[in-house]
Amino acid sequence: MLKLLNKSDYLLRETFLGLKRGGWMNWAAVSTVTVLLFLFGLSLQVSWQLEGLLTQFGSQLEISVFLETGVQADSLAATVEQFPTVSDVQPISKEDAWETLVDEMGIADIEGATSQLNGNPLVDQLNVKARDSEDVSALAERIAQLPGVDEVLYVAEAVQRIAQLNQGLNWVSFGITTMLTLTAIAVISTTIRLIVMARRREIEVMQLVGATSTWIYLPFILQGITFGIAGALVAWGLIVGVEEFIHRLLAQQADFIQFLADGLVLPPSKLVLLPLTLLGLGSSVGLLGSLFAVRRFALR
Amino acid sequence: MTTVSDRPLTSFPSLETPVFNLGKETQPHRQSRIMVRFHNIQKTYSNGAKALINLNLQVKRGEFLFVTGPSGSGKSTLLKLLYGAEKPTDGKILVDGTDLAKLKGDRLSLLRRRIGVVFQDYKLIPRRTVYENVAFVLWAQGYTRKEIRRRLIPTLRMVGLQDKAECFPEQLSGGEQQRVSIARAIVGTPPILLADEPTGNLDYDNSQQVIKILKKLNSIGITVIITTHDEHLVRMSDNPVVQLREGRLFHML
Repeated sequence: MLKLLNKSDYLLRETFLGLKRGGWMNWAAVSTVTVLLFLFGLSLQVSWQLEGLLTQFGSQLEISVFLETGVQADSLAATVEQFPTVSDVQPISKEDAWETLVDEMGIADIEGATSQLNGNPLVDQLNVKARDSEDVSALAERIAQLPGVDEVLYVAEAVQRIAQLNQGLNWVSFGITTMLTLTAIAVISTTIRLIVMARRREIEVMQLVGATSTWIYLPFILQGITFGIAGALVAWGLIVGVEEFIHRLLAQQADFIQFLADGLVLPPSKLVLLPLTLLGLGSSVGLLGSLFAVRRFALR
Repeated sequence: MTTVSDRPLTSFPSLETPVFNLGKETQPHRQSRIMVRFHNIQKTYSNGAKALINLNLQVKRGEFLFVTGPSGSGKSTLLKLLYGAEKPTDGKILVDGTDLAKLKGDRLSLLRRRIGVVFQDYKLIPRRTVYENVAFVLWAQGYTRKEIRRRLIPTLRMVGLQDKAECFPEQLSGGEQQRVSIARAIVGTPPILLADEPTGNLDYDNSQQVIKILKKLNSIGITVIITTHDEHLVRMSDNPVVQLREGRLFHML
């Protein structure tokens, strides 16, 4: 344990010395990692938020089932309620629906309107709520198969659009992340290699006095990981800042947008997961970059 | 000019206090009187230059050996083979009972901790102080801060540089720089010390001082192998001498 402490003392000192000598090159490395992790973190966050939005829409989602003329809503409600993916069924008789409609249209004389149209033109209706947004389309199809059901309507399109958007976004961010990861590894690798070159004399002496390769190159690897962690911290700060800014902007907007904004709020578990993911990716990028840099020297 | 310390040798920490690590790994070979053995060594560089031809040499424990010869005769190659900077084309080298040909990577590093090397061009690190340059060896080997401090002061005193600990190499004379490199070579208390033309760049007085330090180290039991083209230096001492001429070894004394 004491030995480990003593060693970490040396390693930290050497790592710090390397950072001090890196000068502006440190900036190049850290800022590349920052850009990578900022974009990555942002797209990850947006993807999570879209998913949140989807579930929020999903819970609002109702399937409107229109029955054939003459079929009573109550008679089907019991059957539909048995389906495992159904959370709630609300039967609406055509009389109720008609009353509501006429009322909404602002017509006072309901009798007159009815007689003008040769009776109530509507049919009985079921409002079915699904348990999960993913179940909606399957449930709708299943209900449509039932005898006595004329037509099934649900807001599938909006949900599908958002799902597609999310998927598209995921692909784009995957592409960008991959490219930027390679760039960041290359920049870190170059930075570390320059520092190794600048300290070649020291390294040569170290080799001659019997320092092991691990001992010589561990500080450089720690330095690379430091770049990654620093980049992750800055990127996280930026993301939190952007988040805050958008929230302030949305607070002044109309109710509907505020309703949307509620869906953008992430659960606490995701709030912790984001910085952890950034730190993880950042330090692995740093580790890989510095490993590439010292591999060539260390293998000699 | 600072002079070599005349304090009794007991101030040098290594010998009576077995704190140094040469004990553990060399234990089985400690009885052997032969410290270094070259057996039928051939060394041909990749450009075809034959540096050493069929070389046989034994150096006893505690010996002080001069290797002389004109420039390019293979002196430096001989030392490089000893600390593993070069590999022999053919033949066998035993250092303190360990076969060098088989050593690679970390095991070579561990062997190097038992060999101190003094370079002709000092190989000091420019941006570190004398103290740091010498302590470097111990850092590299993973010593504790306390142990480093304990060893460093007597070592610097031994080479007469205790007052220059905080100086940077460029603030020192050539002789002083060479003594820093000697301090660095011995601070890890190796049983063997190799010195490649340690007086090559020095004037007469400084050369004498360096030789005096090396002799002192030899007197406390360290095996010293020193290469030089300075015949005068060799003639002044009564130590065994071998000469290299065009890659072949001749025993002189």
